[in-house]
Amino acid sequence: MKATIGRLAAALAVLAFVGTAWAHGPTRQKTRESIEINAPPAKVWAVIGTFHDMSWLPPVSKTEGDKGNEIGATRRLTLATGATVDEELYKYDAATMSYSYRITAVDVKVLPVTNYSSTLTVSPSADGKGSLVEWAGAFYRGYPLNDPPPELSDEAAVKAVGGLYRVGLEALKTKVEGGS
Amino acid sequence: MLRAVALAAALAVTGAARAEEAFVTNQLSDNLTVVDLATAKPVASIAIGGKPAGVAVSADGRFAYVTSPDSKSVSVIDAAARQVVGRIEVGGGPLGIAVAPDGATVYVADWYAAAIRVVDPAARQVIASIAVGASPSGLAVTPDGKLLLSADRDDDSISVIDTATRERRASIKVGSRPFGVTIDAEGKRAYAANVGSNDVSVIDLAEAHEIGRVKVGLRPYAVALAQGRGFVTDQYDGKVSVFDLATLAPLKRITVGDYPEGIMATADGQRIIVANWESNTLSIIDAVELKVVGEVKVGDGPRAFGAFLRR
Repeated sequence: MKATIGRLAAALAVLAFVGTAWAHGPTRQKTRESIEINAPPAKVWAVIGTFHDMSWLPPVSKTEGDKGNEIGATRRLTLATGATVDEELYKYDAATMSYSYRITAVDVKVLPVTNYSSTLTVSPSADGKGSLVEWAGAFYRGYPLNDPPPELSDEAAVKAVGGLYRVGLEALKTKVEGGS
Repeated sequence: MLRAVALAAALAVTGAARAEEAFVTNQLSDNLTVVDLATAKPVASIAIGGKPAGVAVSADGRFAYVTSPDSKSVSVIDAAARQVVGRIEVGGGPLGIAVAPDGATVYVADWYAAAIRVVDPAARQVIASIAVGASPSGLAVTPDGKLLLSADRDDDSISVIDTATRERRASIKVGSRPFGVTIDAEGKRAYAANVGSNDVSVIDLAEAHEIGRVKVGLRPYAVALAQGRGFVTDQYDGKVSVFDLATLAPLKRITVGDYPEGIMATADGQRIIVANWESNTLSIIDAVELKVVGEVKVGDGPRAFGAFLRR
């Protein structure tokens, strides 16, 4: 009996995990932020074009991973708080200076999203003198079931991702233009 | 003789009275764009609300039914008048939707409740519920109206429902996380896009089991059928995978907009219409030449999940 209950609990835990990883709300959200940087695209790409170097993003204190910029490469970001985010590369094109990745594991307390995918792209700015960096995300809210609490709503997800992108792009601009 | 000519002319006029149209649900702009497919131009925008996602146009082209998961309702749209003429409270999380070929019954998948709501569109109310697997998403009815299929995403299976008894007759195991499901014109085979395993399950409906699997791109959403070929929207690749329906061999991958989702063939099988969720466009594919021949701007976050063409 005890063993049965133990097994049942384990099965439920597995189900809960699977459910969390795949279940999602009814509306996918999108966020797109961009910034102009006073430097050639190649110089910006040199900073962000390595999948295993996320040091330009302020909350990230460590990036670990393998397989370089190969499709399927994974990375684990450790944040200053100690929280981790696991990500996987699914598109990489050095010629167009763009890569896409998805989050495979994150606590919704760290980033209130599920089924998150994202693309970073560097292109020449409109005046041809600098660069335009765009960061676009597609994701569902943190709460996979109906009637989400406010902190895990669609709005909370959009706000959190938009805030992260703005902080990240500002830091990237400072880093590249400062030449550090 | 003259009368026959006049009759033929009248029929031709009736047949050609309107061009085929796309009824595209724009989930993030909370509305629906009607696109004339002959001119490839938007001709109307209809406010919906509640984050519209699923759509089904009746076979006679009179009505479009749209699910709004956030308002837990189905909107009834008079397709010719471009007007919302009714709202049906269905509760839960309405997502996938299908209309019976005779137009008398509408089926709505409740994403959260493992159930299909049976709606009487004339009475505008839910009249029955059918228990299915977890997270039912795509729905499709066979051309004879006898079977309803439900892609039960979190059960990795397709439910086969007898529409006369409103009971599940079978549950067919497919790939991981089936989302969209499409039945061929003969009512013999169904094709389910498996978001989790990046493939399409081919189902024999008489045998009620999976007879083949076709590898496609990343996060396939739905399948369209034309010219003896299957066309699959690969969301994360921004491409449409094309395969041969007889041999199940992959033929081509066509670049469309970003995050393509809803997909359907025109009545003549000459064109494939694709809604690109991230790019806010429709791509029009030549189903014979296998290339994009047009693009139309629509609202924000087009999903067009279901039978979205008024043919």
